[in-house]
Amino acid sequence: MAQTLKLVNRSSSVFRNLTEAWAESLLRRPEKVIKRHKSLADVPGPSAISFLTDIFCRGGLSRLHELQLQGKAKYGPVWKASFGPILTVHVADPALIEQVLRQEGKHPIRSDLSSWKDYREYRGHSYGLLTAEGEEWQQFRSILGKHMLKPKEVEAYNDVLSDVVGDLIKKLNHQRNQNPNKVVKDISSEFYRFGLEGISSVLFESRIGCLETTIPEETEKFIKSINTMFVMTLLTMAMPKCLHKIFKKPWQKFCESWDYMFAFGKFYFLLFLADIAEKVSRGEKVEGKFLTYYLAQEKIPMKAVYGNVTELLLAGVDTISSTLSWTLYELARHPHVQSALFEEITKVQQGRKVATAADVAKMPLMKAVVKEVLRLYPVIPGNARVVSDRDIQIGEYIIPKKTLITLCHYATSRDEKFFSDPNEFKPERWLKKDDCHHPYASIPFGFGKRSCIGRRIAELEVYLALSRILTHFEVRPECPGSVVKPMTRTLLVPEKEINIQFLER
Amino acid sequence: MAAAARLLVTSRCLLAGSRAWYSGGQRIRSWLEQRAARLYSSEGKVTVKFVNRDGSTIVTEGKVGESLLDLVVEKNLDIDGFGACEGTLACSTCHLIFEDHIFEKLESVTDEEMDMLDLAYGLSETSRLGCQICLQPFMNGMTVKVPESVADVRQAVDMGKNS
Repeated sequence: MAQTLKLVNRSSSVFRNLTEAWAESLLRRPEKVIKRHKSLADVPGPSAISFLTDIFCRGGLSRLHELQLQGKAKYGPVWKASFGPILTVHVADPALIEQVLRQEGKHPIRSDLSSWKDYREYRGHSYGLLTAEGEEWQQFRSILGKHMLKPKEVEAYNDVLSDVVGDLIKKLNHQRNQNPNKVVKDISSEFYRFGLEGISSVLFESRIGCLETTIPEETEKFIKSINTMFVMTLLTMAMPKCLHKIFKKPWQKFCESWDYMFAFGKFYFLLFLADIAEKVSRGEKVEGKFLTYYLAQEKIPMKAVYGNVTELLLAGVDTISSTLSWTLYELARHPHVQSALFEEITKVQQGRKVATAADVAKMPLMKAVVKEVLRLYPVIPGNARVVSDRDIQIGEYIIPKKTLITLCHYATSRDEKFFSDPNEFKPERWLKKDDCHHPYASIPFGFGKRSCIGRRIAELEVYLALSRILTHFEVRPECPGSVVKPMTRTLLVPEKEINIQFLER
Repeated sequence: MAAAARLLVTSRCLLAGSRAWYSGGQRIRSWLEQRAARLYSSEGKVTVKFVNRDGSTIVTEGKVGESLLDLVVEKNLDIDGFGACEGTLACSTCHLIFEDHIFEKLESVTDEEMDMLDLAYGLSETSRLGCQICLQPFMNGMTVKVPESVADVRQAVDMGKNS
């Protein structure tokens, strides 16, 4: 059945390609091409001052995702704006996003100007997978990619992640029992800890205690540092460097947060090394499926290992937390979807309480629910690319090399041209054969060789967590009808606390 | 046992051949080529013909069990941008178009591969990702087509502009 649906879906994609081929054949006519190309100067957009006012005076930094919608409505699918000192071309159409990604080259660059890179230079730290470029980036990606992205390899993390999910259930149970209505307040903070415990277990194959009743102080501080760092990221980038000397606070706080994260990553990595050394001295065989082991085996400098460990740790926290929080928020508001999903889980698990990687692979509705959540709340609302070695074509424009291009994923995934009722939670749209949205309209993990390296591990983690949560509990909103909107904090996160009632099944 | 398997493969091939009979001379020729390739192939080796974007063909031989991406990398075949993500299912640059009778016999596609295929350029009814297809004896002599890339279209545009 699923196979038939896929085939029908594929036919619709074939149709899309045919129409594209037809459009391309029109493009081949030289006279049309010459007439249509415009330059960066022709790209419309707000004046630098009005955009700055939007950002700083109207709470724009936390509304950056909404500014995508406004920009598109006002200027069309391509517009330019100055984000502080940086001029960036916004692209908010799936076909044009596809066009940019197909020109990204051998070593795609996200952005060559970033406060994250500035910090590493300032402190003399090494780059990790998120911040490195060129050959260095390729080396990290090749080492980590084969252990993090290949579905067969990822299955190896099933057991360790399943243990972490077990502790999450215990923790949720404990928290809900503290409340007379069985409500867990601010579930995002519970899921931050779950995310950190999950990524640590994958990296070090050891547990760091984030899901204990008493949470270790350093893990809480690490999570706080991530939050502060993300808030300060946009601020430090939007502020011209000369202003950093006058308003010192943002850059200071930004550096302190990173300092803590690097120290944390290094600490756990050294702990891990000591543990291995002890095992070796006892004559035990050291082997494992954990990532740090692979990193340590490679001939890369120790500093680069710290850089990568720190960046991987931070990348596994907000992403997991936001996705799980929004999923429970939407499932609580849509009981019919929740019961259909519960039915699917029960059917696949056949009486077992714990799902495995092989089980979740057989849950199409589960995958549709998560796809729909990430369409409505893409963790990365806007991504970026810089093509450094040649001018590129974006629709009717030729954009000069080295221009920062912002890919407006939030705008495309909420565009009614591509998704009917774009602001409604309708997971069934991902299972319908006649829904032939543009495949680039919602790409929450990005696409291509610089796409999210944690994607498969994150998907497994989310599926295992959701299947177990729904096996144990029915979730309901604390106050039916209360709405939580997303806000930008570099990443897209819930604007206020999401409180969920967990009723035992 | 091995003989029985060979017989099965041959009979499948004959069936495919008889279908080809009706669809014209070219199909018969390709079938004959496959038969010849099978006769001459050494044990555990599979001959594959790649039709590149410019229409040129590359005939090469790989081991049973290795993926088409491994084959392209190992033999250093000149296919621009092929396998950018190194077989980690993060892109669709190893997209290949298969012959109908081979496509029908391929292992079913996973959701992960399907998601990546959806994002491929020039998707067809018999498209798969080369990194997910491992060589098997029945593939001996098959032809796979490398789809035209966006870059080719753009090149054509640029050439048109200059002329």
